[in-house]
Amino acid sequence: MRLLKKYSALYVMMVPVIAYFLVFAYYPLVKGLQTSFQDYKLMGDRPYVGFANYSAVLHDSLFWDAVVNTLVIGGGILCFSFVAPLAIALSLNEVLRTWFKKAAQMILYVPHLLSWVVVGGIWIFMLSPDSGIINMILVHVFHMKPINFMADSGWARWILILLATWKEMGYTCILFLAGIVSINPSLYEAARMDGASRWKQLIYVTIPQLSNTMKVVFLLNTLGILRIFDEVFILRNPTIAAKVDVLMMYTFQKGILEIQLGPAAAASFFVLLLTLALTLVVRRITRFDEV
Amino acid sequence: MKKVMLTVSTVAALGTLLLSGCGSESGSSNAANTPGAGNAQTGNSANAPSNAPAADMKLRILDGNVGGKTPEETTKFAAEITRLTGIDTSIEKPASDYDQKVLTALGSGEKYDLIELSDLGKLATFVDQGVVTDLTDFVTGSKVLSDPTVVPTSEWEQLKDKDGRIVGVFNKFQGGTMPIVRKDWLDKLGLQDPKTLDEYYNVLKAFKEKDPDGNGKNDTYGLSTADIYDIQAFMSAAGVKAHYVMKDGKRTIPYATEAAIPIYEWFAKLVKEGIMDPNFVTNDSGKMRNLFLTDRVGMVTYWDAWVGMFNNTRKQEDPNTTFNAKALSSIPGADGTVLMRRGDPDFWIIPANAEHPEAAKKFLEFWHTEPGIMLGSLGIENEDYTKEGDAYKLTPTGIEHNMDHGVPFWYNQNVEYPFGKLPGVQEAQDLVNKNATLELSLPGWPDAEKIVKNYALKAMSGQMDAAEAVKKMHDELLGKKLIDE
Repeated sequence: MRLLKKYSALYVMMVPVIAYFLVFAYYPLVKGLQTSFQDYKLMGDRPYVGFANYSAVLHDSLFWDAVVNTLVIGGGILCFSFVAPLAIALSLNEVLRTWFKKAAQMILYVPHLLSWVVVGGIWIFMLSPDSGIINMILVHVFHMKPINFMADSGWARWILILLATWKEMGYTCILFLAGIVSINPSLYEAARMDGASRWKQLIYVTIPQLSNTMKVVFLLNTLGILRIFDEVFILRNPTIAAKVDVLMMYTFQKGILEIQLGPAAAASFFVLLLTLALTLVVRRITRFDEV
Repeated sequence: MKKVMLTVSTVAALGTLLLSGCGSESGSSNAANTPGAGNAQTGNSANAPSNAPAADMKLRILDGNVGGKTPEETTKFAAEITRLTGIDTSIEKPASDYDQKVLTALGSGEKYDLIELSDLGKLATFVDQGVVTDLTDFVTGSKVLSDPTVVPTSEWEQLKDKDGRIVGVFNKFQGGTMPIVRKDWLDKLGLQDPKTLDEYYNVLKAFKEKDPDGNGKNDTYGLSTADIYDIQAFMSAAGVKAHYVMKDGKRTIPYATEAAIPIYEWFAKLVKEGIMDPNFVTNDSGKMRNLFLTDRVGMVTYWDAWVGMFNNTRKQEDPNTTFNAKALSSIPGADGTVLMRRGDPDFWIIPANAEHPEAAKKFLEFWHTEPGIMLGSLGIENEDYTKEGDAYKLTPTGIEHNMDHGVPFWYNQNVEYPFGKLPGVQEAQDLVNKNATLELSLPGWPDAEKIVKNYALKAMSGQMDAAEAVKKMHDELLGKKLIDE
């Protein structure tokens, strides 16, 4: 009680934050949980139906297709959007000309600022089979037949993975560069005195020292892989839908398009549970607690 | 343990973001207490013909088409309704994501007096969800709406629920889709209107190869569509109707039958020979329209109203243009039957939780009289048009608004089009009135549609053999219990 009085001003300052989370985070969470156990109608009675919505979702083959798509596409994005910016950051770190380094960072960062609507429009145009620059290069330089990238289910997942990697590369790259900059220069000095080459400095100094940043980036990316939605919504079309419709798309379709809010809420909780499980696994594997 | 708890709470907070889309906005305890417990509402208050005085009435409208082109204009539009009806009116017209806005509004217990819809499948769902009011007695008792010259009696069948109750009132006359051809290109190349699949092929091939725009470049396509929207005109040659067709009480999807194979093969041939726009899979209707308006393609499949809009747009750009868009009929099947697609109607519902249903009914009657129709088409008097005696004159704003404030066409035969219809529209609507029928969207169609589109587009684009695509389409639909045979 004495402590409560002593820090009362601090507790009062916390009230808006707590209220924010209660109203905008935990209330919807509880409401969503309630909905998942109801035969939820827009108006009128909403009887409780136990686990029927969960059962319906689990017995829906489209849900399992969405799980597979999410894991494949999300896994791909997780790997590529980790490795690619790391490689770029390490490369940029070797660049001595500051103007080039800064210009490269800026150019890499620009796609992160664009919405998926813009990015999707740009790439649909660039990948167009008749007037897209990619196909023009394939046809006129490599004398290949044009590829309808956006309509070929064989390319669909790759397109999504690579575009997501391209879009977020600059942002992640900056995180890595910040980590690299903060490495103690005396470590490099000691390595050089021991005769370490640039490559060995990279392997034995930079990467180990960057491990904490890498863990954070990997965990943040893991948290996002089951929530992929925008890019799929923008880039999908009927011929590739079966290969790219992810869990959030399934939830959107059930909830918004088919107005089956009970199953949609149940599917959302599966996403939540899967995210929780994945996060715990990643934390354990990466020993995140030691960061 | 403390760390685990911290992790759990962090992830739980994250999860709320996942759920906020459907959890927070769709649920409301208030909505549970609304009077619409059950299906379409019945009762004296909901069904009685509108007879209350307009004074002191309020009306809150949610719509996607009716109103001005900007929020400011929509506010003026609502004020004009107030002036003309005496009902204090407000309109909410979301700029985008209209369906989501409707769902969110209904789920959260927002109270609107009128909501505009244009999807019969969604209407059936809303009936099941207890959202709509039974309007049977109102419509049949209304002097305006029960008049067959105002709305043809047979048209009301579209807005009946499975129990035969009228649950909506038309907003406008809705047309259908059809092939729209560059008639000037046909004339230039000495070709006649195509009537068979082979004739269509020859025309489209000529559009591709004979430089119909005369710019000396091989830069034109014969045909463009936006995915399989709408290939009904060509499927008609095989006697195949889009969406579900009930056959002996069983659900069938004719696009997933062997009869459709030759048409998919025909499209694959067009794609292979470069006659068809290769972007048809990813096109939206805007891109398709642009191709047509910019002389890149000689034929598109689109709405009847757009025949006139295409002609008018080009005429406004260049008064001396030779551009001439013309609607074509679907290809008759072996038995001579012509299958055309009629669009789902555009209509109003009175939600079961409406606070002012009487005001809504007053508005619905007004909307089908001359002042209402002029407001919905020409727009606001002295803003979009002026009237001297019986003569209407469009202002520059009115010209810009293209005589469309939600009602470009109407049912009421007693109200004439003050400026006539745009060139080519009447002929297109005649085709619709003669041959077009609604498509049947049963529950499960959204899931079935994904399967149909997937394989149909693969077959059309030549990625998959047509027979194989149809077999897989059929097997998958059957396996997921989306068809019965």
